[in-house]
Amino acid sequence: MKKIWPVVVAICLALFGAVACASPQPAPTPPAGNTNEIESQTEKLSVYASFYPMYDFARKIGGDKAEVVCLTPAGTEPHDWEPAAADIVGLEKAALFVYNGAGMEHWVDDVLAALSNKELVAVEASAGVPLLEGGEEEEDEEEGHEEEGGFDPHVWLNPLYAKIEMANIRDAFVRVDPANSAYYEDNYAQYAAALDELDGEFRSALADPPRREIIVAHQAFGYLCAAYGLVQEPIEGLAADSEPEPARMAEIIAFAEEHAVSVIFFEELVSPKVAETIAAAVGARTEVLSPLEGLSDEQTAAGDDYFSVMRQNLAALLTALQ
Amino acid sequence: MTAMLQYDFMRRAFVAGLLLALIIPCVGVVVVLKRLSLMGDALSHSSLAGVAAGLIMGINPILGAGAACVAAALSIEVIRHKIPRYAEISIAIVLSAGIGLAGVLSGHVRGAANFNSFLFGSIVAISDFELGLVVGVSLAVLLVFIALYRELFFIALDERAARIAGVPVAAVNFIFTILTAVTVSVAARTVGALIVSSMMVTPVACAMQLAGSYKRTVIFSAVFAVVFTLVGLTLAYYVRLKPGATIVLTGVLCLLLIIAGKKIWAAVGSRRRKERNS
Repeated sequence: MKKIWPVVVAICLALFGAVACASPQPAPTPPAGNTNEIESQTEKLSVYASFYPMYDFARKIGGDKAEVVCLTPAGTEPHDWEPAAADIVGLEKAALFVYNGAGMEHWVDDVLAALSNKELVAVEASAGVPLLEGGEEEEDEEEGHEEEGGFDPHVWLNPLYAKIEMANIRDAFVRVDPANSAYYEDNYAQYAAALDELDGEFRSALADPPRREIIVAHQAFGYLCAAYGLVQEPIEGLAADSEPEPARMAEIIAFAEEHAVSVIFFEELVSPKVAETIAAAVGARTEVLSPLEGLSDEQTAAGDDYFSVMRQNLAALLTALQ
Repeated sequence: MTAMLQYDFMRRAFVAGLLLALIIPCVGVVVVLKRLSLMGDALSHSSLAGVAAGLIMGINPILGAGAACVAAALSIEVIRHKIPRYAEISIAIVLSAGIGLAGVLSGHVRGAANFNSFLFGSIVAISDFELGLVVGVSLAVLLVFIALYRELFFIALDERAARIAGVPVAAVNFIFTILTAVTVSVAARTVGALIVSSMMVTPVACAMQLAGSYKRTVIFSAVFAVVFTLVGLTLAYYVRLKPGATIVLTGVLCLLLIIAGKKIWAAVGSRRRKERNS
């Protein structure tokens, strides 16, 4: 029995030593390719964004004056994500924090309250966007799925609301770094024009489609549908991952048969099992309609951004609505 | 009934659900008697670590989940033998180790896209491949369970006595452990971890309230599980509920009713006896 103590002490020391020697986790790196200039210039503004569209917008406004970090890693469904300790450490040193709000990031209030970084400017990008209430898109009252606050957070899928978000982000940049305000204004003007152009493309392409109903994996496309006169029939509510009710699946199948829907949309970040089951039942195809909640590694490698993915979405919509 | 069964996904749900309802309680009876009721939870959480490890190492994550389940089940056996008086400790350790490993590993998975989909199935979205897996596993479990019926019975009741009676305890335990692991990993992926862990225990608990013998406990458990699945799925369809959760709650409700019913029955019985005596 006596001999056991040295062993216990040795094991504890070894464990402690292993932990102490292990190199600390690096902070999350931006998923984009151009990371080679990290920390080369201390001049750069340290900007944190909650998930992909916020990251992309902040990067576009900040240009080469900002080092933007995306908190939600590539390929992770942001509805499920919460910051880890390393992310909080990063936020403590950041100058600007961009988040979408409207109930998308349930952790924001707690995290902001816990930070001791007094300089940090936090911007809720969706401020000023007329929010849709959760479940409003559906005729059936029973289907109202409550997200925090009861609003649909997926505002960025309407290019014009994306423009409002970019304007909010620009204002925040100007506030944090007034010396470069003209630079941020310029960037905003350039992308605002691009967003108007994107909106025009959607508007003309979807002006008079043969049908207007789309079946989607989760209720993310309320703003997109409202803007261009489409009707989404979501399998899931506003949050992406939960078990579907069989009665709901039967309804979707009936709906798909009634409207002769040929494409069931799913998302890269959510299991396609349910979409595949429904597609098999009605003899439809499954295709990706991205809610832009994050890019896959392949998309990142291919240099995709908000604009290219939205154009892929438009192409997918056009084939589905034939 | 016909409205519900016109859909292929509901027919699949019933086939897979009923097959698993037959075999999971068979495994469950032995697991419960060995005081390892939380085995289902421990194994399904450990398979999370397997999925993560599979994705990192580029192995098929389903295979990874199966391997992790087997490893976790064997670890439970080993720890149980080291600390035989507190068998449930082994579950707690493996459960937390599984969750911990999964947490550490998942931080290194690039493109965690389908992390959940490898792990947690839904009974209303079952693919051809999964249906095939369920049929295969069900047959295997049923055959082994019948072949080793006597040995498992001895081991479940008293391992030491079984050893004295000449049962090859180590070998049977090993086979049974592998069987449990495979059942859990396949069922969790197909119908969801929630259904698996409750199907292992709730029908057995109901059966133990009523049955007097081991054999009857086994048969009653399977019957209960089949009824829970039938009632739960039908309810879920017509009352608009989540299927997995409904099946589980049907079982719990049934257990409560049985316990209450037994109380009432006993009260009525004792009053009658008194009346007769007076």
